[in-house]
Amino acid sequence: MAYVNAVKAVHEIRDPIHVFVKLDAQERAVVDSRFFQRLRHIHQLALTYLVYPGATHKRFEHSLGVMELAGRVFDVITNPDNVTDEIRKQLDPLKNASEADRSRWRRTLRLAALCHDIGHLPFSHAAEKELLPEGWDHERLSYEVIMHPDMQAIWREMSLYPEDIAKLALGRKKGERLGLEFSPWEEILSEIIVGDAFGVDRMDYLLRDSHHLGVAYGRFDHYRLIDTLRILPKREQGSEDRPPVPVLGVEEGGLQSAEALLLARYFMYSQVYFHPVRRIYDIHLKDFLTEWLPNGQFPTDLDKLVTLTDNEVLSGLLASARKGCRKGHVHAKRIRERQHFKVLYERNPTDVERNEDAGAAVYRAAVEKFGAEHVRHDSYRQKGGVFDFPVLRRNGEVVSALALSDTLKNLPLVSVDYVFVSRDKYDVACRWLKREHDRIIEKGVEEEDDETATEGGSADQADR
Amino acid sequence: MKRLQKAAVLTRLIDELRRRGSWAGETHVQKAGYLLQEVTGVPLGYDFVLYHYGPFSFDLRDELTALRADGLVTLEPHLNYGPKLATTPQAEKLQKNFERTLARYGPAIAFVAGKLGSSGVYELEKLATALHVTKELGEDASVEDRAKRLTEIKPHINLQEALKAVRRIDRFRTDARQIAARREAVH
Repeated sequence: MAYVNAVKAVHEIRDPIHVFVKLDAQERAVVDSRFFQRLRHIHQLALTYLVYPGATHKRFEHSLGVMELAGRVFDVITNPDNVTDEIRKQLDPLKNASEADRSRWRRTLRLAALCHDIGHLPFSHAAEKELLPEGWDHERLSYEVIMHPDMQAIWREMSLYPEDIAKLALGRKKGERLGLEFSPWEEILSEIIVGDAFGVDRMDYLLRDSHHLGVAYGRFDHYRLIDTLRILPKREQGSEDRPPVPVLGVEEGGLQSAEALLLARYFMYSQVYFHPVRRIYDIHLKDFLTEWLPNGQFPTDLDKLVTLTDNEVLSGLLASARKGCRKGHVHAKRIRERQHFKVLYERNPTDVERNEDAGAAVYRAAVEKFGAEHVRHDSYRQKGGVFDFPVLRRNGEVVSALALSDTLKNLPLVSVDYVFVSRDKYDVACRWLKREHDRIIEKGVEEEDDETATEGGSADQADR
Repeated sequence: MKRLQKAAVLTRLIDELRRRGSWAGETHVQKAGYLLQEVTGVPLGYDFVLYHYGPFSFDLRDELTALRADGLVTLEPHLNYGPKLATTPQAEKLQKNFERTLARYGPAIAFVAGKLGSSGVYELEKLATALHVTKELGEDASVEDRAKRLTEIKPHINLQEALKAVRRIDRFRTDARQIAARREAVH
């Protein structure tokens, strides 16, 4: 019976997307930490379950999935058969690294992937910008958690550097703001997690959200895509006299899978993440939290934050909804009784041709007419870079994906603009807008070209 | 500056760069945007960090994507390089709606585009990084010190090239001051 007390070397966790997520005993220590366990109680998609009832999955399983995919991508792109001499010369860890070094980077990457969301606020992205002090966001909170003494003890045990984990988890955009400096190798590894085109964070959430919501839009052949990922040189016009930049790209045979991923992203954004009812619930939740939270903001003290999950917020929300004297009552009641504001105006090409910011013009006019308490504005334009990555052709040439793929060239981008109005003003507001529409749109143009005017009160919500 | 005012300035910048023979890819617009903001004082409000080809703003990158999402800018792909950016007829209409904004900043845009239109990415990298080191070390730092610092940040740039870039950015800054002063006098 020698096996009874033996420490299990590899743990397997059942997962609906990846079948099994495997981790070793040391990685398990991160999963068991109080910061990571908190993610069991943070919904992946905030209040989306009020629209798509299946959307009750949590950041916990998503983070496990991201770790699993990150390890798979690392194995493919560092496989010596998949690395060209040009790239090997540019990236030291591919040229000189010992097996121990390679193993340390692999583990760093997997744990960074595991921790990439570890600082998420309750209900995920809902309005973190307005509900945190200036200079804070969930990425900075994730950084603070990774650097926390509790976590440092775990990293020390594994001989890993917390700064490396933070860098790879946050990526260059967020990491630079925290003073982290990236080598080209670290940048490639961080791209594996947070990259615009091939980040495994995105791969996992598209597949997982799609699965739980019961929509097919988010599916794509991620097995094929991952197998064809490569580190490739990217060139710009007029940069022939300098070394090319190594970035993630694909072999030609994976181009269609990459197209499918980016189409899946577009469809999920337009059909799910920017569903108007989902968006207005986020706004009502933000309105509630602004009144309910002490000083209208989440704590940045980690010991306080760790005790605050969706459960505590939901409990507070239901209590506020029941009693008129409680803070945030009006907004909580709207959510509990599903009396959300309704769409009064939605961006459309005809109006946009006359006034690029037609939504803001309608919002300002509606506020003037019905009062700010009855009107909300939500606008979002797609962020991130151009989906142009290098493709390794069968003849060894490396070319631009955009030039090879009409699909990528014509891929639509997400741009939404909604004006919502309370239910008790809805009918009268619809009649008013029908009457005043043309005047509002034209007037808005004049107001915009005025440097003294202030920004409209739009609720430009964060990206997923 | 408000979002659409900024859109008018950026689309005008793309137009002016192209008119002067620039490839006008995202990297070209990034470097031109950096000089437009930091040298001619157009208040775009972007934070720039050092990236692959020198100063780069993630917010400007997001803004350029948003302009595409709004149908103001399109991409023209190329087999071997990143795509060129081009404005649409909708951008032309937008610029007409922002006559006051463009009257104020148009000369600065034309100046920057005129100076950079013929430069490829490597030239722009040297020039924009030369400005970065000038800001980092201070205006009083010698040409030699700034050039040396440039080569530390960008080891693929040799000292001769760095010296040339620093001298060029000094001339650029002198000329730009006149543009900014004229703008302040008129507006």
